[in-house]
Amino acid sequence: MAHDHAHNAPPSETAMRVKALETLLTEKGLLDPAAIDALVETYETKIGPRNGAKVVARAWTDPDYKARLLEDGSAAIAELGFSGVQGEDMIVVENTDEVHNMVVCTLCSCYPWPTLGLPPIWFKSAPYRARSVIDPRGVLAEFGVELSDDVEIRVWDSNAELRYLVLPQRPAGTDELSEDELAALVTRDSMIGTALAEAPAG
Amino acid sequence: MPTLTPDMVPGLVAGGASCRMDVDVAPKFKVGDAVTARDINPLSHTRLPRYIRGRTGRIARDHGVFAFPDTSAASGTHSDPQHVYSVRFEGSELWGDHANANACVYIDLFDNYLELA
Amino acid sequence: MNGIHDMGGMQCMGPIIREENEPRFHEEWEGRVFGMFFTNFAEGHFNVDMFRHAIERMGPAEYLETSYYEHWLHVYETVLVERGILTQAEIDEKIASLRQAGES
Repeated sequence: MAHDHAHNAPPSETAMRVKALETLLTEKGLLDPAAIDALVETYETKIGPRNGAKVVARAWTDPDYKARLLEDGSAAIAELGFSGVQGEDMIVVENTDEVHNMVVCTLCSCYPWPTLGLPPIWFKSAPYRARSVIDPRGVLAEFGVELSDDVEIRVWDSNAELRYLVLPQRPAGTDELSEDELAALVTRDSMIGTALAEAPAG
Repeated sequence: MPTLTPDMVPGLVAGGASCRMDVDVAPKFKVGDAVTARDINPLSHTRLPRYIRGRTGRIARDHGVFAFPDTSAASGTHSDPQHVYSVRFEGSELWGDHANANACVYIDLFDNYLELA
Repeated sequence: MNGIHDMGGMQCMGPIIREENEPRFHEEWEGRVFGMFFTNFAEGHFNVDMFRHAIERMGPAEYLETSYYEHWLHVYETVLVERGILTQAEIDEKIASLRQAGES
């Protein structure tokens, strides 16, 4: 049956290589497959950009928190419980009317996992890594963000062990929104700097 | 027995493994210094990208002391602790006339990558 | 090293292709490869710098034609053999036996 074929397709060569490694390391007592199950489950369900959105919404509503976040990103993010692997040392950079920040890792694909989760494919792709530093306005335009030349673009190439989170500007017309409602406007891309936070509906 | 068991996963994920080192190392540079990235071309690991080598920027922030990846990649342990700085490079310094208007790059660089301009 | 991974400022790489509602892992094996970073790290088989350098040592054509998690898989296959934790023959035999089991 044609329909079933895709589901029952033989594993790819790559899948076979992975299975071989996992099996060999398990047989040698160097790997517990249940630990990998737990890691996959953690990063599929617990760690993602909703964490970063909570940080941003808190900064938008609590000036003291925002001050702490910009002063010591790691500690302020830890207050909300989003520390850990690939977010050990965090720097938060603030977008304003004068400055727009965007983040790249030209050498690999370093990314703040605890606040944004695992990186999307485009962040890891050659065109993004190559062009962000030489043509950030072109990259932003490709993402639909057009900024006037009056706005300084700061590209953060996060090639050492500091990880970067962009604090986007709070959209206009959101004075009445709760922290949770604000967090819903904060997209992953707005915290990488390739988008702005969304305008409220209606 | 495998070292990493499922019960350890939450702690490992939440704790991480910072490359920051709690040792007292004097910084070679200070905020505001004009610095030039060295022109190094090792066959081994380095985190100094080619587009930065030989270019001059300004120290914007001192992040403190971290293990030096060029050394750690060879030794297998956190090695050669030194200061890491956020250094600002103007677009025109990196890309000449081809640079975007009003754009710059901030990149984190280790003491060993830099000299006073 | 002056490798293909050092991409900042390169041109003509094409458009940035984005995927709406991208899953964390596109294939089950990607999750296994992701998790093996932690298990291998915990065993002391590499640190993050050795890990990155092993990716940098890939051939440039292979680097560009393979995905992020295939780069990670390359690290394990390279470093575990270099460190004597596995042999290439063992890996090849295991792949062959898995393939045979799948076909039978």
